[in-house]
Amino acid sequence: MKKPLKNMNPTDVLGKVIAISHSNLETEARINSILNIIAQDMSFDEVLVYTLDSDKLLTCRFMNSRSKLFHLLNQYRSRVGEGVVGSVAQKRMSQHYTYRDVPPRFGCLFYPDLNGFIKKLRTFSFLPLSDDSYLYGVLFIGSAGTDRLTDADKILLSIFTREIGGILRSHQLVVSSKKRISELATLSELGRVLSSNSEPRTILGNISFIITKALNAGFTTIRLGHAFIKLDSQRYTCGEIDTTTEKEIARLEEEVKRSGKTASSREFLQDQLQEAVAAFYTAPIASKDRFLGTLTVGGPRSVAGLAVEESSRYLVETIANYISSGIENSLLNMKLKDLVDELGKAQQRLVEQETFRSLGEMTASIAHEIKNPLVIIGGFTKRLAKKARLDQTENRYVEIILKEVGRLESILDEILNYVRENPMLLRGCNINDFLDELLYLFASDIAWEKIEISRDFDRDVPLVPCDDQQMKQVLINILVNAYDAMHGAGKISIRTEQKQVGSHPFVTISITDTGGGVDPKIIDNVFNPFFTTKERGTGLGLAISNKIVMNHGGHIEVNNVTGKGAQFIVYLPQKNSIIQEEIV
Amino acid sequence: MKTMRLLVVDDEENIRFLFKEELEEEGYEVDLASSGLEALSRIKESPYDLVVLDIKMPGMSGIQTLTEIKNTNKDLPVILCSAYGEFKQDFTSWVSDGYVVKSADTSELKQTIRSILGKT
Repeated sequence: MKKPLKNMNPTDVLGKVIAISHSNLETEARINSILNIIAQDMSFDEVLVYTLDSDKLLTCRFMNSRSKLFHLLNQYRSRVGEGVVGSVAQKRMSQHYTYRDVPPRFGCLFYPDLNGFIKKLRTFSFLPLSDDSYLYGVLFIGSAGTDRLTDADKILLSIFTREIGGILRSHQLVVSSKKRISELATLSELGRVLSSNSEPRTILGNISFIITKALNAGFTTIRLGHAFIKLDSQRYTCGEIDTTTEKEIARLEEEVKRSGKTASSREFLQDQLQEAVAAFYTAPIASKDRFLGTLTVGGPRSVAGLAVEESSRYLVETIANYISSGIENSLLNMKLKDLVDELGKAQQRLVEQETFRSLGEMTASIAHEIKNPLVIIGGFTKRLAKKARLDQTENRYVEIILKEVGRLESILDEILNYVRENPMLLRGCNINDFLDELLYLFASDIAWEKIEISRDFDRDVPLVPCDDQQMKQVLINILVNAYDAMHGAGKISIRTEQKQVGSHPFVTISITDTGGGVDPKIIDNVFNPFFTTKERGTGLGLAISNKIVMNHGGHIEVNNVTGKGAQFIVYLPQKNSIIQEEIV
Repeated sequence: MKTMRLLVVDDEENIRFLFKEELEEEGYEVDLASSGLEALSRIKESPYDLVVLDIKMPGMSGIQTLTEIKNTNKDLPVILCSAYGEFKQDFTSWVSDGYVVKSADTSELKQTIRSILGKT
């Protein structure tokens, strides 16, 4: 039974639709209003719009206000090609049915719930919403009052499909450009965080926060593959994750670590689990083939599928790449900072050692000056007591003076023995590493910038038993002498070797300067205590050095290299039979 | 018995005086020198049986003086006498014949001289 469309003036309807279509209303309001106009003015009962979403599924999203089917149809999403809606979308051709020939598969499924409603309708029309290149959705028209659509109706509807298609198209453009802008903003924000000098812990925490906000995700969790230095945790999370989801994320993270590829919960989880847990993506964080960790972004499942859309996958991957270089940088920064700190400390120790050494020598020199007058006082007091005939009380006074002189003398002896026979702390020492460390400290001293240091190390020298603190003092002494001899500019050549002296194997360190060498007349005296050529030297440096080396079972040799300078060779025994068992 | 002749070398006048008094009391004949150079010229002028030599002196040090003495008079015993105790071992095992740490108590010095001269 056909219900005549008496009241409809096609021009009026068209005018209204175009006015709304071109209005400033929100997309949803515009489309719903147009659907209402079509329903009212053309006397249809159901006017619905399916849209093709970015995940390539058709969803019933818009309706006329009196629609009864919408709430049923919008429960199901169908693929392109599936059911009547899917086939119209695929072929981009309208299809019109009556209650006699409508196929059972409306969308992707046959819905038993539809039966009661469908029986009330007499015509069913499906029209593609597309332009020349893209399909945006499908328009469904259902009418209880007419058996078939007139050609005029069809023409009018085809105009409306173009209008609605246009609205959807511009909506998509706006959405995608908004999305692109927000992605760019996110990336630039991440870039700012990653290039900051903050600690890795702070950076990772901030990143997960930014990603969660930017993608409107339920949660973001970054898991590091290794326990990196100074990081107390391997996981940095923003948002809430329930325990079931947590377990599944851990499984997917392992899978991603294995495959090195981004994966989603949809591909990975079994169907029944998909219902129970949140939806998420996991991308590997890798740098130069090194696996650093994973980035997982997700949220609760919604009608539209993943809360974080399929198209975000590439963004998650991009962010993961970003993070990898950030983590790498931050770790490098941290390492650098540690090294600089260590260097600072080492320099401090060197300065302290040097200060202590000079202080020791100075103290010794003062003590020496005091010692002479004290010996004189004590000596003559004794003589006085012997010559004079003293009574008991006077004798007691003399005894007190002599006792106090004796006390002072022993205090001074204590000070003068400042290079005490310290028990040596011997351990196996790699002379090359030891020199590298020491030379690095010298090289970073600005006063040494005009000194060129060349190294010729035998990289196979065995470990030698050595008290590194005492040996450091020896080498510092020789190096500082070289520096002084060259007046702060010249070349120091350092060489390590293995040498055999008789049947004893030694490791030797030779230090050659370009300071002109030692006067042959005094070369035999350089190790003598108090022998110095320096204006303010104490003459103890080399004497003590020699003593230290001799305590190690070695010796120091001094030569003149013709036309160049002095050469000091420190011989250290490779084995020390007496002290062998003490070596750690 | 012949009186032994000693030469005391020290830049400090009162140390020289103290040692002279103490050692003369022991029956030695004691000459004094205030520097290494003076010591060398005295040794050249007249023979000594033993030299007591301070190490730290301005100009020519005790070590240089010792080396010179040993170069020219290999058999002349030299006792180093210094405030420093540190290098006692190095010197005794090396070129000098004795090493005494300077003290108000001169008994160690006297003992060392006695034992060296007793041998010769």
